[in-house]
Amino acid sequence: MEFSNTPSFFHHGPSPVARLAISVTLSLALLVGDSQFGLMERSREGLSVALYPLQQAVNLPVSAARHVGDFFVRQAELKTENDELKNRQLALAAQIVRLQAAERDLNELKKTNQLRISRNDQGQIAEVLYTGRDPFSHKIIIDKGEDAGLSTGQPVLDEAGLIGQVTRVQPLSAEVTLVTDKHQMVPVMIQRTGVRAILYGYGGGVEVRYLPPAADIKPGDLLQTSGIDGLYPAGLPVAKVTAVERGSGASFARITSTPLGGIDHGRFVLALPVRTVPAAVQPASAPATATPPPG
Amino acid sequence: MSLDHPQELLKPVNLRLIYLSFALAITAELIPLPVGSTRWMPDFVGLLLIYWAINQPRLVGVGTGFTIGLIADIATAGLFGQHALAYSISCYLAQMRQRQLVMFNLGQQSLVVLALLLTNQIIMVLARMATGAAFVGWHYFLPPLIGALLWPLLTKVLLAPYRQKH
Repeated sequence: MEFSNTPSFFHHGPSPVARLAISVTLSLALLVGDSQFGLMERSREGLSVALYPLQQAVNLPVSAARHVGDFFVRQAELKTENDELKNRQLALAAQIVRLQAAERDLNELKKTNQLRISRNDQGQIAEVLYTGRDPFSHKIIIDKGEDAGLSTGQPVLDEAGLIGQVTRVQPLSAEVTLVTDKHQMVPVMIQRTGVRAILYGYGGGVEVRYLPPAADIKPGDLLQTSGIDGLYPAGLPVAKVTAVERGSGASFARITSTPLGGIDHGRFVLALPVRTVPAAVQPASAPATATPPPG
Repeated sequence: MSLDHPQELLKPVNLRLIYLSFALAITAELIPLPVGSTRWMPDFVGLLLIYWAINQPRLVGVGTGFTIGLIADIATAGLFGQHALAYSISCYLAQMRQRQLVMFNLGQQSLVVLALLLTNQIIMVLARMATGAAFVGWHYFLPPLIGALLWPLLTKVLLAPYRQKH
């Protein structure tokens, strides 16, 4: 209200110009002090502490509104998020399966390696490449052959027991006839009694033939290699007796057993060297003429 | 008391409403708003100061501008003295022409308010640039425009408590 050209009836303190000058001077002083010396930092800190509750109070409705907004998220958003998560879960599941497989392989490999180390003869660890194409002959192909010094007749086992025998050697791979093949025979010994017998494969399983009905054998007996053929080292576990039928009319007991080695699973096997190599001994298996050479 | 409503007889203004309006405006400064809203949000404190400086020159003047400016500095955590300088200058300018401004209609007042708010922004930009900040861009001058557009509404709202009930 006060202007220089208007008469002043009441005293109102300093004129606006003076007030402006004071304010501007103070402001400029504050500006310079703040920017150059940071003198106000501490005072501002104190003031912001005082301001904090107010700020919180002001924030309260906003954050509450945000919470409410979160509650009413659009259905489409949830749907897309859900789809995304599902996809990711699928990918992760696939990854886990692969990981599990890798872990299983690793464990198996470790065990096989341990088996190799524990034996003082020089074994060869090999990986199973594929099974034979002919469903009637039980054969697998391993990834070691002439290059690794394999020869026919070598017993092949895994950490659980005997699997079969190398029957054909190719430059980079070898064919292993499993104990379940119908041409495959393994001389075994009942571990409990020491009775010797021959374990015949019959295409899908193994059985002990030509034991008299009175033979001392019962389910659960362990059959291991007897080692008298000069081919298999003695004491390799081969199979476990599962059932013994002593038919009164039959001249032999019917003894079924299951092989212990992983003949239909597992990826790593150990090929043992032939214990002695007498020239006369042929591989127990007949040449697999029915099977075209795989690979 | 706005003289653009000569037909109305208004109740006397009390200081409490002025304080309350400033408190509300400064509280509004503290509300966390989405990023980018500062580009168009008008400076309510500056707008209120100009309103009261025009309509209540006895109660609100340069000193009030300076004090409120200091509080705004703290509230916005800007540079100390930047708002104080701008507000005291704009309050002085408003007070200088107060007798003409109260006779203006709302449209003319809006133009003056636009000029005053732009002055505010210019002073603040200069203060920041003098202390070493880079120029923020021309969008910094958008809020005064919106503030000037809001001026008629603000006038109506702030006059409401003083209308006599018939």
